[in-house]
Amino acid sequence: MADVATVGRGTGARSGRSATRHPVRSRRGWVPYAYLAPALLLYALFLLVPLVRAGQFSFFEWDGLGASTFVGFENYLSVFSDERLRSAFGHAFVLVFFYAILPLVIGLALAAILTRAKVKGIGFFRTVIFLPQVIAMVVVAVTWRQIYAPTGPLNGFLRLIGLDGLTTAWLGDYTWTLPAVGLIGTWVSTGLVTVLLMAGMSRVPLDLYEAARLDGAGPIREFFALTLPSIRGEIAVALTLTIVAALKTFDLVYVTTGGGPGTSTTVPSYEVYRRAFELGEVGTATAIGIVLTILVFAITAAVNRIGDRS
Amino acid sequence: MRRHTRLTSVVIGGIAVAATLAACAPGTGQSDAPDPQSTEISTDISGVGDVTLTVWDQEVRGAQNEQIEQLNAAFEEKYPNVSIDRVSQAFDDLNTTLRLALTDKDAPDVVQANNGRSTMGAFVAADQLRPLDDYADAYGWFDRYAESILQYSTYSEDATVFGEGDLYGLPQVGEVVGVFYSKSKLEGLGLEVPADWAAFDRALAAARAAGEIPIQLGNIEQWPAGHVFGPLQGDSVAPDEITKLGLGNPGASWTTPENEKAAAALQAWVDNGYFNEGANGTDYDAAWQALAAGDGVFLLGGSWLTADLADAMGDDLGFFIPETDAGTLATTGGTGLPFTITSAAENTDVAAAYIDFLTNDAAMEVLAETGNLPVNRTAELAPESGVLADVYTAFESVTQDGSLLPYLDYATPTFGDTLGQSLQDLLDGRTTPQQFTEALEADYTEFLESNG
Amino acid sequence: MRVSRFEVSANYLILAVFALIVLGPLGLILSLALGPQSASVGREGRVFHWENFADAWQIGRFGQYMMTSVTVAVIVVVTSVTVSILAGYALGTMRFRGATFFFYLFLVGIMVPTEAFLVPLYFDLRMLGLTNTLWGVALPQIAMSIAFGTYWMRTYFRSASRSMMDAARLDGAGSMRILWQILVPNARPAVTTLVLLVFLWTWNEFLIPLVMSPSGSVRTAPLGLAFFQGQYTQGTALLAAGAVMVALPVVVLYIFLQRHFLRGMLEGVSPH
Repeated sequence: MADVATVGRGTGARSGRSATRHPVRSRRGWVPYAYLAPALLLYALFLLVPLVRAGQFSFFEWDGLGASTFVGFENYLSVFSDERLRSAFGHAFVLVFFYAILPLVIGLALAAILTRAKVKGIGFFRTVIFLPQVIAMVVVAVTWRQIYAPTGPLNGFLRLIGLDGLTTAWLGDYTWTLPAVGLIGTWVSTGLVTVLLMAGMSRVPLDLYEAARLDGAGPIREFFALTLPSIRGEIAVALTLTIVAALKTFDLVYVTTGGGPGTSTTVPSYEVYRRAFELGEVGTATAIGIVLTILVFAITAAVNRIGDRS
Repeated sequence: MRRHTRLTSVVIGGIAVAATLAACAPGTGQSDAPDPQSTEISTDISGVGDVTLTVWDQEVRGAQNEQIEQLNAAFEEKYPNVSIDRVSQAFDDLNTTLRLALTDKDAPDVVQANNGRSTMGAFVAADQLRPLDDYADAYGWFDRYAESILQYSTYSEDATVFGEGDLYGLPQVGEVVGVFYSKSKLEGLGLEVPADWAAFDRALAAARAAGEIPIQLGNIEQWPAGHVFGPLQGDSVAPDEITKLGLGNPGASWTTPENEKAAAALQAWVDNGYFNEGANGTDYDAAWQALAAGDGVFLLGGSWLTADLADAMGDDLGFFIPETDAGTLATTGGTGLPFTITSAAENTDVAAAYIDFLTNDAAMEVLAETGNLPVNRTAELAPESGVLADVYTAFESVTQDGSLLPYLDYATPTFGDTLGQSLQDLLDGRTTPQQFTEALEADYTEFLESNG
Repeated sequence: MRVSRFEVSANYLILAVFALIVLGPLGLILSLALGPQSASVGREGRVFHWENFADAWQIGRFGQYMMTSVTVAVIVVVTSVTVSILAGYALGTMRFRGATFFFYLFLVGIMVPTEAFLVPLYFDLRMLGLTNTLWGVALPQIAMSIAFGTYWMRTYFRSASRSMMDAARLDGAGSMRILWQILVPNARPAVTTLVLLVFLWTWNEFLIPLVMSPSGSVRTAPLGLAFFQGQYTQGTALLAAGAVMVALPVVVLYIFLQRHFLRGMLEGVSPH
């Protein structure tokens, strides 16, 4: 799923902080519940209940076909002891760098530059750079698989500019495949992050900048002393969205590498699918899912705490 | 305070719901596999009324697709009351989806299931496939097929033993892994077709020295390298040993000097630069397309590539199998994926008639005409010349006088993954041949222990 | 603010470089899609091979998969947007016990990763015979979209004009009439944005249709593309054509309605 999808369906959107007005209390007490009921019913039946069931499944050993055995915390222990699973989580954290940290750095630089000097064509630029967000991840993956092919355009380009030594099989190299997959994430995320940060920076009042200039602040000091603190909230949002997208990576790996070479690009989501439906280890699969959920909640909470400390 | 109690009651209610669910452990309440169909079977299906037969196959390559389309059309013409709903997908995708599909209420009637323990074995153990012995007797399948072929579709009822027991499927085509080559390239290098592995090694060195890519390999999917290792293993390891390892039956070991020698030979090819650069990151299909485009001299692969390659290369394409030190032929191969009947199949008579139709003598002719390698009547249907003649001859001599070795991934439910990853590790030089065999031995012995 | 001409030129350069980085891969897939299918076709010497699209459409069954995608998307969008409006209305304009609790309950759904609840859901829906049906593919996505949709509509209704509602209430309008005749017509931009976002997510979703329709009978367009990659072995032109066709509907919508997309992405998560 393109990580735009995670903006809503699968990431921490934050509660509105606008001053709470006091809504009118309905005269008939059941009315609000009646409005809430259809949404709550569908949501509970097809998301909350399965989530509780996942917690329950995770204490059983079950092959998806026959009977199940209660095994206590064994599945969770294997999440931490199974080397393959540990490395899958490790890979997810590497992807966090490429999905979240790198786009944030690029996005900050881009947004700062563009906000400082008003150039024409920013609207067009915004449209273009945001485009990868709306394209299905499968399409993105199919495209990049062509780009990364040993005889593909990337190696062709490197040879053209005389960097023959850098060419490699980008999706078959133990060192480079994970970064190569990660860079696809960077390609997708950077637009979202940049556009978010630009929106944030445009809200910083101009007279603050003028005051800073009068104090003799250069562009660098201005950025760190003024711009950065003002957009803490946007940074927190950008990080939440992209980090969660990184942790949930599935279709990208499914289409580009299938976890290879060796096991160098396996990720938790891929392991959930593989174990539940290919290997028949449903208990372990749900345990991985639960651990992933806890991780997502923890990171969202942590990032938003940092964002709120302004 | 009241608000507090209200919330508490909601929470308690939630916990109560969860507890109720917890009483319903996973796996309970799932419908059991349907009982085996009644023992009354019939080979006459003209009177069964309108039936839709859902068939899952992986015959996606040019010639395979052509033969199955022809045979499906002929079957529907012969039995106008039957219509075939065909779902075809790539080998990899079939493997990932079949497990889910078979447990489904909406399961297909006939599926192509890979012989190995991870697929056919698992499905047999879960009662998802129907034993075919009664139909085999009725249609005479035991006479149609050699026993050595049918053993790869045979499991004991609980699927602990592979190679003996009930018959679960019938293959259409034979498969043999060997070496495809470009005749003009070989001639340009001044070389003869290598007779044995030693000569093949010399040819590789000569090709490398001449600046050619000796072997094209696309291994991003992880399994293709198994078709390079398999024949090499056949050169140094005894066939019955490989068969035990390949079927996941006890009494053999991966950690032997012979297996290490085979792994070392493969790694030496990498070290000598005999493969295209970045084989681990090249698509399987890109590799044969590269050979067809005049890039490279050899390609180790299965007979299923013949039609695609011949289409692109014409008379320039050749095929051979190097002899072992002992002067025999031993290489990976067997049959195409067997067609099986699922336990969920609504009309097993129709399903059986379909499988019979796909594998009868007339079907073998269609297979030969469309450029495939029919599993039966191979010698009499062999074409006179061209690469197909090479392939037919090779298959015939391996099955008659040599040893057709099972695909190694049959061995255990996880062996496909283990082998694929270990081979990528080995090709990359991350593991030594010894570590390679140890990784495989671990998977093999772990399975033997759990399989009791 | 005065900025040097050098800085302005440098900015244009930066814009151009980043735009190229984004557009390059897209241009590549488009050029592959228009390239020759095979060497023999290539020798005909035409530059654009538009027939690739027709061939991919037929060989890759994209017609069927697109139809499935559209159907699933319509089911998900209509259902989830309708019930989200109702729930957002309650949470945004009414006071009742548990309102905060329910609000946070929906927020949980925005964060939960699909893979956490999909596995048990698959096995339970299989028991009910709902797998391999449009509903099996749509319902989990409806649940996920409701979580975001309710949050989104609640935010909107909280900011909606209170005086208008009060006036209508004095006129004796019931809560249903206030919602559909006053609030929703005014909320058209917010609803449009929600519709577009849910459509986008549903169209691009991969894991849910992959798991929920193992038989392939309810295969959506992105899945069709992933499977086409393995199924079609004769080169990349048709694969690329398929990729373009899968991406096209959403890209076209985005180009024409981009302010809705951007607003949805930005405000849906904005800290302000």
